[in-house]
Amino acid sequence: MAREYPWRRRAGWWLQNRRYLAFQLRELGGVVSAIYGLIFLNLLRTLRAGESAYTAFVDMMRTPPILYVNLVLFALLVWHAVTWFMLIGKSQPIQFTERPLPWRAVFGVNVLLWIGVSGAVVYLIFGGF
Amino acid sequence: MAGRDVVFRVKRYRPESGGKPAYQEYRIPYRDDMVVLDGLNYIKDYIDPTLTYRWSCRMGICGSCGANVNGTPRLTCGTYIRDVHKGTVTVDPLANFPILKDLVVDFDDFLTKLASVTPYIVREESGDLSKEFVQYPEDVEAYRQQSLCINCMLCYAACPVFGASPEFVGPAASALALRYIRDTRDEGADQRLARLNTKSGIWECTFVGECSVVCPKDVDPAAAIQTLKFLATMRHMRRLLMPGAPSR
Ligand code: SF4
Ligand code: FES
Repeated sequence: MAREYPWRRRAGWWLQNRRYLAFQLRELGGVVSAIYGLIFLNLLRTLRAGESAYTAFVDMMRTPPILYVNLVLFALLVWHAVTWFMLIGKSQPIQFTERPLPWRAVFGVNVLLWIGVSGAVVYLIFGGF
Repeated sequence: MAGRDVVFRVKRYRPESGGKPAYQEYRIPYRDDMVVLDGLNYIKDYIDPTLTYRWSCRMGICGSCGANVNGTPRLTCGTYIRDVHKGTVTVDPLANFPILKDLVVDFDDFLTKLASVTPYIVREESGDLSKEFVQYPEDVEAYRQQSLCINCMLCYAACPVFGASPEFVGPAASALALRYIRDTRDEGADQRLARLNTKSGIWECTFVGECSVVCPKDVDPAAAIQTLKFLATMRHMRRLLMPGAPSR
């Protein structure tokens, strides 16, 4: 019996084309959303611990290195959200007529809703823009 | 022949030698109407008769001529050299499968997976099988897209999830499961969804979507898997909330 040569996946497979890269960044964005969750939980914890703990944490979050890291994390999070919105119309075709809605239309509606809800949340928190 | 040449870098693996697969280069003349399969046939006919690869129909029907061309899974009979070469055309065996020889890979694993989704119409044996089962054009339309699959395996070669977890049932077998589930003559949805709702089933899919990009027949297996996730969830909920009710 001839010997088969087993398949081995290359470590850098996700650099092979930009769609794989986009996917990996989307998955990384998922990890980032968990990190944001932890930051938020810690914020609540410091809030409970008292004003000085809360202020110290907020001041630390405002230091330039943390802000830069946050910018990168935020970009990944936005990418995660946008790419998931892109998948909605593809994963569950929405059908009112004979043909399902094009995924771009579903994507557009979701992005508009997202912007609307985010605006409402900002308004609720800051009482105006 | 206008005197144009192209270099084919072809991955070779000789199982009897026991060595690792390695590239071999061939310089061949080409015309604009030649596909990658023509290039391989030229090599086999005029340069190196030991080169081994699969093909049959030369018209995108049999699904046997798949290979990674410049890193992307493609049907070599449907890929023009002029569209893919920048001086060189690199041809590898389909990724994610063990190599038997040169460009020929072992598909046995896929055939087992395909069989596991019962890829044929299932009827209750107690039912009346003598009557005609009428289908209207819209009934056919419901599964037409998935029925176009030619089992070429390009989707498996493009799927990084299958590359990392070979137990994953994979895109084509899932798409074909949906093809039969959507067929109004079929009564096997429950057993297929039970198979797919397992650890090696559809939940492995993280929706990379590359299977649908490379599919030469526009089967869109990625969308089929997401639809199956929805159907499997509905089946699970029905069994949970209405234990005695029929599963479909
Ligand atoms: S789903 Fe498309 S890529 Fe996959 S085996 Fe079928 S025809 Fe080939
Ligand atoms: S030779 Fe049949 S699909 Fe290419």
